[in-house]
Amino acid sequence: MFAVGRSAAVAALAAAALALSACGGSSDESDSGSGGSAVGKTLTLWHYETGNSAMGTAWAQAMKEFEASHPGVKVKFEEKGFEQIQKTASMVLNSDEAPDIMEYNKGNATAGQLSKQGLLTDLSEQATKRGWDKLLSPSLQTTAKYDERGIMGSGKWFGVPNYGEYVMVYYNKDMFDKAGVEVPTTFDEFTAALDTFAKKGTTPIAMAGAEYPAQQLFYLLALNKADRAWIDSFELYKGKVDFHGPQFTYAAQTFSDWVKKGYIAKNSAGMKAEDMGVAFIGGKFPIMVSGSWWFGRMQEEIKDFKWGSFLWPGQFAPGSSGNIWVVPEKSENKDLAYDFIDITMKKETQNLLGNSGGIPVAADPAAINDEQNKELIENFNKLSTQDGLAFYPDWPAPGYYDVLVAGVQELINGNKKPEEVLDEIAQPYDDNLADIGG
Amino acid sequence: MNADRTFRQPGRWAVLAALAVLAVVMLFPFVIVTLNAFKSPAEYSAGGPLSLPHGFYLDGIVAFWDRVDFGLKLWNSLLISGVVAVAAVVLSLLNAYALGIGRVRGRLWILVLFLVANTLPQEALVYPLYYLSKEVGLYDSKLAVILIFTVIQAAFGTYLLSSVLGQFPRGILEAAEIDGASRRRMLWGIVVPISRPTLSVLLIFFFIWTWNEFFLPMVFLISNDNQTVPVALGVLQGEKMMDATMSSASALLGIIPAVAFFLIFQRTLTRGVTVGAIK
Repeated sequence: MFAVGRSAAVAALAAAALALSACGGSSDESDSGSGGSAVGKTLTLWHYETGNSAMGTAWAQAMKEFEASHPGVKVKFEEKGFEQIQKTASMVLNSDEAPDIMEYNKGNATAGQLSKQGLLTDLSEQATKRGWDKLLSPSLQTTAKYDERGIMGSGKWFGVPNYGEYVMVYYNKDMFDKAGVEVPTTFDEFTAALDTFAKKGTTPIAMAGAEYPAQQLFYLLALNKADRAWIDSFELYKGKVDFHGPQFTYAAQTFSDWVKKGYIAKNSAGMKAEDMGVAFIGGKFPIMVSGSWWFGRMQEEIKDFKWGSFLWPGQFAPGSSGNIWVVPEKSENKDLAYDFIDITMKKETQNLLGNSGGIPVAADPAAINDEQNKELIENFNKLSTQDGLAFYPDWPAPGYYDVLVAGVQELINGNKKPEEVLDEIAQPYDDNLADIGG
Repeated sequence: MNADRTFRQPGRWAVLAALAVLAVVMLFPFVIVTLNAFKSPAEYSAGGPLSLPHGFYLDGIVAFWDRVDFGLKLWNSLLISGVVAVAAVVLSLLNAYALGIGRVRGRLWILVLFLVANTLPQEALVYPLYYLSKEVGLYDSKLAVILIFTVIQAAFGTYLLSSVLGQFPRGILEAAEIDGASRRRMLWGIVVPISRPTLSVLLIFFFIWTWNEFFLPMVFLISNDNQTVPVALGVLQGEKMMDATMSSASALLGIIPAVAFFLIFQRTLTRGVTVGAIK
């Protein structure tokens, strides 16, 4: 094949565009023209959740309800790819093609960035007027508010989260029974359980070193020595974080010990999250530490054994609100967009979300029928009320995800000492802090 | 088909073996995709990507087709790639006629410019193109993508065709000139018929290249009604989740048209390459 890069000179394009648009623009212009005349009657809505997922199901219902309560208004829903929204959001929102309302990623690098550029509508007034600020617990509100630097946690409301997510422990009940292991409630019991499996020659924890699971376990270990002030320092820059302090030192040391003791497989350094999930669903590991986003898939695909989930033994676990609804500044139907958000926050929609395997933020726990779903939601509520949502380790700095992947991989491979790994992950964090002037 | 039987060295077998290995390596991903496209998600999770499907599970393909309105995406891709392929070949031909046969002054520099343009990464072009298209009201329209790719492909086409036409037998052209043929007549009556194999190859490459483009169409085709096949496939890649079986089903649907197109024009392609080599 020709490996030549096939791109063009901008000048050449400009000339060609001018020459050709003169003769060919008619059909497309009439298209956008007809779209423009329907303004006021159509709510354009984008999200990127699968149709049969909990959010997809609940939001489809919300759209129906919206159309019923707003006669004459049509919802024009378009399912988008995660990557497309991720890469093109700032361009789309800066153009006339912006939707009226869309789902977007929470966090400094995403929603924070857009709010700083003035592309998102300030929702503060609506949040108090419609009572969203009462429905959402403080740690869920963290991802809804951004200050003028685009940093979450304080400032104005730019988004409204509809669902939650958190990291928990999935376990294979059959394997636990066979090994005579009880569900652990304290961290010591948890380590003892790991030890029992390791002694029997089973690697207990399914792990994926090449993607997010490893850094989340690493962070969980640090959290066991942490308090809320430390989390606020690390995630929201409210203080100085010492990477050689007790939290990270303990995490790196313990993680490395767990690999040596055989709790985590050495060959997991190159595994992807998908491999890890498939291995657990295939019944090859008794334990998988990962997020609630797996829950629906577990319910659907595990047929050969009984499974369950429990909270990580400790006060904190990675978790936060899910992605958020944002209203673009260029939205032509802001009031309709607020109405739609309001419907998604209503009890009925939230209950449906919970009954479909998602984690609602404002549901009625009594209305959740399925036992497994109930357990999932109750655990989330427990974590949320004990102020245990600790966000994710890769949030603080752009590109920090890859830094952590590389660092924790070295812990698994054992080719660097824990202290050296800590130096490695401290550097990019401090650089970013200097950049934002924190 | 009619293999050349004059070479009977042992080296021939080594080459054959190497090619066979290469073919297996190249085909392996396709086999995996096909296997997984017909598996149910539960089967995939239980047996992993390499296990054989137990039955012919078509739901993944059907569900994907409905979910993204695949028929429409196919038509969009076909329209964009088709128009780009034809327009880019015509544009390259006209450019190359001037540069390769017409011997415009400073043509070497013009060609160097085209070559440099070819090496520019698309990421560098995105913002300028975005602002330009917004200015002329073409953002989120198929026409924008058609224009961009016509120019991008023509830049490469001009470069290639100019060097091919630079070697064009001058005698034929001189004879035509003596017979009183106009420049236009010489282009359509002599140059085009003789270099047709090369032009067909370019046409096919432009079609397939444009068909497979992902990045720029993703940026410029915002509404779902305008999207092309590769952009539609991107819908399946979630934030943390991937649906391996449905991704395989969609990948299969995505490559079938390009492969079919290639197979149909495969003869033209090989002929074109050899003709180019002799000239």
